[in-house]
Amino acid sequence: MKRVLLLLRKDVLVLRRSPLLLGILIAYPIALAVLVGLVASYGSSKPRVALVDEDNLPATVVLGGHRFDVERTIDAVSKNVTLVRLSPDEASRQLRDGRVVGVVTVPPGFVSTLRGMVHSPQLQLELSTGTISSRVEQQVQALVYSLNRQLQRAYIASNLRYVQLILRGGDGSFLGAPITVLGIQRAQRLLRGMPQTKRTAVLLDFLHDARLALANTNDALSSTAHPIELVRAPARGRTWALSAEVQAYALGLTITFLALLLAAGSLAAERDENVVGRLARGLVGLGQLVWSKVALAAAVALALGLAISLAFGLVIQVGGVTGGEPWRRLPLLVVGLVLAGGSVGALGAFLGAIAREARSASLIAVLVVMPIVFLGLIPAEIVPPAGWISALLPFSHAVDFFRSALYDLSPWREVALQGSWLLVLGAVFGGLARVGARRLLA
Amino acid sequence: MTRATPLLAARGAGRRFGHRDALEPVELEIWDGEAVALVGPNGAGKSTLLALLAGALEASVGSIERRKGARVGWAPQRPAQYGRLSARENLELFAKLEGEHDPQGAAARLLREFELPGEPEPSANLSVGNRQRLNLAIAQLGAPHVLLLDEPTAALDPPQRARLWRRVADLRAAGGSVVFATQNIEEVEQVADRVAALREGRLVYAGSIDDYDRTDVESLSA
Repeated sequence: MKRVLLLLRKDVLVLRRSPLLLGILIAYPIALAVLVGLVASYGSSKPRVALVDEDNLPATVVLGGHRFDVERTIDAVSKNVTLVRLSPDEASRQLRDGRVVGVVTVPPGFVSTLRGMVHSPQLQLELSTGTISSRVEQQVQALVYSLNRQLQRAYIASNLRYVQLILRGGDGSFLGAPITVLGIQRAQRLLRGMPQTKRTAVLLDFLHDARLALANTNDALSSTAHPIELVRAPARGRTWALSAEVQAYALGLTITFLALLLAAGSLAAERDENVVGRLARGLVGLGQLVWSKVALAAAVALALGLAISLAFGLVIQVGGVTGGEPWRRLPLLVVGLVLAGGSVGALGAFLGAIAREARSASLIAVLVVMPIVFLGLIPAEIVPPAGWISALLPFSHAVDFFRSALYDLSPWREVALQGSWLLVLGAVFGGLARVGARRLLA
Repeated sequence: MTRATPLLAARGAGRRFGHRDALEPVELEIWDGEAVALVGPNGAGKSTLLALLAGALEASVGSIERRKGARVGWAPQRPAQYGRLSARENLELFAKLEGEHDPQGAAARLLREFELPGEPEPSANLSVGNRQRLNLAIAQLGAPHVLLLDEPTAALDPPQRARLWRRVADLRAAGGSVVFATQNIEEVEQVADRVAALREGRLVYAGSIDDYDRTDVESLSA
């Protein structure tokens, strides 16, 4: 143990004497975390969808007595996509090139079918292949949903005018033809002025019931048009940058990058310095040498992880953001940082032992860290093999540990599970690194 | 420490790197007070034999035996030290690892004896000669009974060479031994009392310097 600590102290001293390297090692993963965040937010940005108008949509359309400004209506309903008007050929070409991810075609006769109110007119949707197409389909469905809602409001208003006409009577029009309607109220007055018989009583009862029923038509029509309505409450949660996900991923990514690179580079550097033989002849065993690098990775992960967490905590405190446990859970986070740093460090030491040279080890570590992180970012429910592979690497377990430690009301079960994963993976990779370290002597 | 057994012995010890035999099985014993020169052309297996004797490499076949309690100091051909640490920090670190009671004191003494710079300059910035002196100084830590030196004088100036061999003479006078690899015939004749000659990974001669024919050395090294 004393010898492991001596080597650890030496490595920390060496690291302190390389401020540029240390700065890059810290700044790079943080910059990477921000870039990943930006890419993730780009994932929810508006995809570009072509609108092919084969019906020569007019500037305005009157439906159910309601006048629609076509351009304004399209702008209002296409909040989640960027609609660009293109000719059919150009739309096909851009779909093939991937410049648009979908084509919505308004076929000939669309507006006249809509005006007829007998059949539902159809919009045609053509999508590119690939993982984004399902998301675009959802967004175009949302667009059609928004359009339908606007039309429903117009149709309901139109229907209600007829209901009012039936209720109160008067002049109106139907399918363009002028009509005069007696109306229930006037019919009731007429009936009451007539000699009262059993038949007039039955008619008056009916008119009374019909009047009551039609009085509720407004609400009934609205509720049958939208059996369930989604109402968005005012925004209350944290901003994206302060969310639990971002904090957990920022910690996970930074520590994974740093610990992997440090452990791989520093173990291989022992061979570059030609000291492995000197150490291995009874001063420091190869196992102790490997564990000193694991300890280095854990120590640096702890220091940097705590710094990031304190920065998050301060911002949350100053900003008066509620939710999460930025301070009380720090001891639990310390355990997670040490476990995550050590586990990733063991994987790094394994890479260092395989690579044997510090430059090769660093390059391999940089090449390996991205797939590890991205495998952890892919939702396992969407691509199960990515989840299986990620389960065998420390990154996703570290992220789950951090998220649970900082934000779960009762984190113990999750923390114990992910901590066990990190311990087991650390032991496995450490063991592999110990076996591989024999290569450092050759 | 019993003198019935050698301080250090290679018992059929050989080393293979992949499919290549760097050193075929060798029998060699190092006794108290001896100076053994390893000679032979480049790639003959001298450094591999020294690394095996030092315990820095594991033998692929055979074994290395060390008398109980015997301590070994090793200075490989390419200096083995941390380039970002100063000479003093290197000496202190290895002194602690060697179990020296007073690591700072041992480091200060060796800095003085090997005329190494005491300032906190990284050892990677030292001259080739100074780095080799630091390499040799580290080998002295832990009061070794046997010194294994791989071409120790290659980067030293004449006064430093003289000082090194005086130090070796002091060690031998105290009952210690030295095994050194060299290409320098004069050093063999002046320092060694036994010679082990290697060629293409095989031990081709092992005997006293008196029985050793100088012409053979040159032909082996050709």
